Amino acid sequence: MTSPPGTTPPGTVRAPAPRLPLLRPAKGRWLGGVCAGLSAHLRIPLPLVRALLLVLAATGAGVVVYVFLWVTVPPGDPARAAAEQLPAERRRLAARPRLDPRQVPVKDIGIGLIALAGAGLLIADRLGARIEARWVVPVLVAGAGLALAWSQLDRTARARWVSGGRTPVSVLRLAGGVVLAAAGVLLLVSQGTSMTTTINAAVAAIAVLLGVALVLAPWWLRLVRELGEERAARAREAERADIAAHLHDSVLQTLALIRKQAGDPEEVARIARAQERELRSWLYDDRSAPGTSLVADLAAVVAEVEDLEAVAVETVVVGDRVPDEGTGALLLATREALLNATRHGKPPVTVYLEVTEDAVEVFVRDRGDGFDLDEVPVDRFGVRESILGRVRRRGGTAELVSNPGRGTEVRLRLPVQPGDEEG
Amino acid sequence: MSDPVDVVLVDDHDMFRTGVRASLDARVRVVGEADSVDTAVAVVRELRPPVVLLDVHLPGGDGGGGAEVLARCADLQGEVRFLALSVSDAAEDVVAVIRAGARGYVTKAISGPELGDAVLRVAGGDAVFSPRLAGFVLDAFGTGAADVATGDDELDRLSAREREVMRLIARGYTYREVAGELFISVKTVETHVSAVLRKLQLSNRNELTRWAAARRLL
Repeated sequence: MTSPPGTTPPGTVRAPAPRLPLLRPAKGRWLGGVCAGLSAHLRIPLPLVRALLLVLAATGAGVVVYVFLWVTVPPGDPARAAAEQLPAERRRLAARPRLDPRQVPVKDIGIGLIALAGAGLLIADRLGARIEARWVVPVLVAGAGLALAWSQLDRTARARWVSGGRTPVSVLRLAGGVVLAAAGVLLLVSQGTSMTTTINAAVAAIAVLLGVALVLAPWWLRLVRELGEERAARAREAERADIAAHLHDSVLQTLALIRKQAGDPEEVARIARAQERELRSWLYDDRSAPGTSLVADLAAVVAEVEDLEAVAVETVVVGDRVPDEGTGALLLATREALLNATRHGKPPVTVYLEVTEDAVEVFVRDRGDGFDLDEVPVDRFGVRESILGRVRRRGGTAELVSNPGRGTEVRLRLPVQPGDEEG
Repeated sequence: MSDPVDVVLVDDHDMFRTGVRASLDARVRVVGEADSVDTAVAVVRELRPPVVLLDVHLPGGDGGGGAEVLARCADLQGEVRFLALSVSDAAEDVVAVIRAGARGYVTKAISGPELGDAVLRVAGGDAVFSPRLAGFVLDAFGTGAADVATGDDELDRLSAREREVMRLIARGYTYREVAGELFISVKTVETHVSAVLRKLQLSNRNELTRWAAARRLL
């Protein structure tokens, strides 16, 4: 933060004592966590909230308020949510969604309540109470519509809804719920009136609704647009936070390490090279799944040799294919050749891999003084067996070209089955 | 030895410019520096140096980096030659500046004497290919038997000789070593490399376009 102390930079939630968001905490709840959430949000002691709601419940209003809040307020830990409201650049990583282990089986409870109400009605009917179907049926229809429309407000569905992914199912649910509720309400209020009056009333109601919708449309559109903009901004911030976190975890650590090892140039070079490689792969490479790319395997071999020998190896590749047993052997030979080049040759050491339709070729080159293979004692060098022999046994060709003063080049060529080449 | 070659150094990192200036030998003289697209265009237009060392990633302008500098100095090309310099190994960076008119591409890891060689070569009108750029060319133009050009005027395919030259450069051979390996003169190697550069800049080859499109350039 670069702002002077005492001021709050715009856009950050750093008010002296931020109000906790209204959420229903899982801890300390009796029923739905509504009272606990209210108490945290309004900063009123929990017993007081509960007592107030109980008093209100006696009049009936408290029950309605409680159920309404239970349905509309999302569950969650207010304190944690407040902590997560820090701007993204101050967070280490974009917040990951956490699932609450305890979830109230709303659907089961709802079905149970409906069944109970039905049973109560039946018993009341049997006992002689007059239950008028013209009241009960519309209420049930409207209630079903409401339940249908509200049911998509459960947690995961709400998250999807907010993030813009409106599924056909959710739209269908909403439409069905609206139709059902409208029909129920219409039946309820139009009792005893004629069909024409009902239709007239319905048309008038729809006209009023349309008018209101027209009036509110600009406001709603702006809201939607702002939501989209905010979502984009948040995505950008999350991305920036991700990059910052990566830089912190890799580059900063490495710089600290380098400062500590400043007296050991070889170690510093090794660390710097490893970091450079890692950063490059993070920035530029399309990472391939393990076991699908010969190029990625070669990169791993080169990285190992670079770390082991503290020498930079320039790698150039053309084409790629899925590795198999044969290319595995070729890579082992390449590794030996690279080790030889870095140990006995002089930099720059280069490796060139070319994948064509019928063969994979590898060239490993150094600029050392060169040597004569025939002069090397049979028992001393791994060149014959581990480099040349390995490839020849697989039906490939391998040769070693060394000229005094012009370095040494190991040329390996392994024929492969055409077809699974790619890129 | 003849007069040193004047170059303008364009890079947004002061530290890197200092390093390059220190590593260049007497054959090259830095006459100007710039650290953004706009200053680069201004300095190049004012000084008209034979060679510009141009970083691929530059701030300023319309955000086009080195390629934008090349595009805005397009009328000077021929008189001023650009050598692209980058830490990036990403194909899109390299190909974007080459297709915008750069005469070569080297990575920033290059040693001072090698950079001097590259500058002299570009000043002489030749192209400079790093092993990696040669690898990109082979990748883009294809390595199959059907990809060999038969006529000289074909822009979309490399001739067999050009491909051989590219492969040797990709293997880390210098022009002199390529010449020795193929029993041709260094001048002939340079001709081949320049021809490849021209093809890379002008070709509409399907693969090249598709390959570039897949990496979101062009």
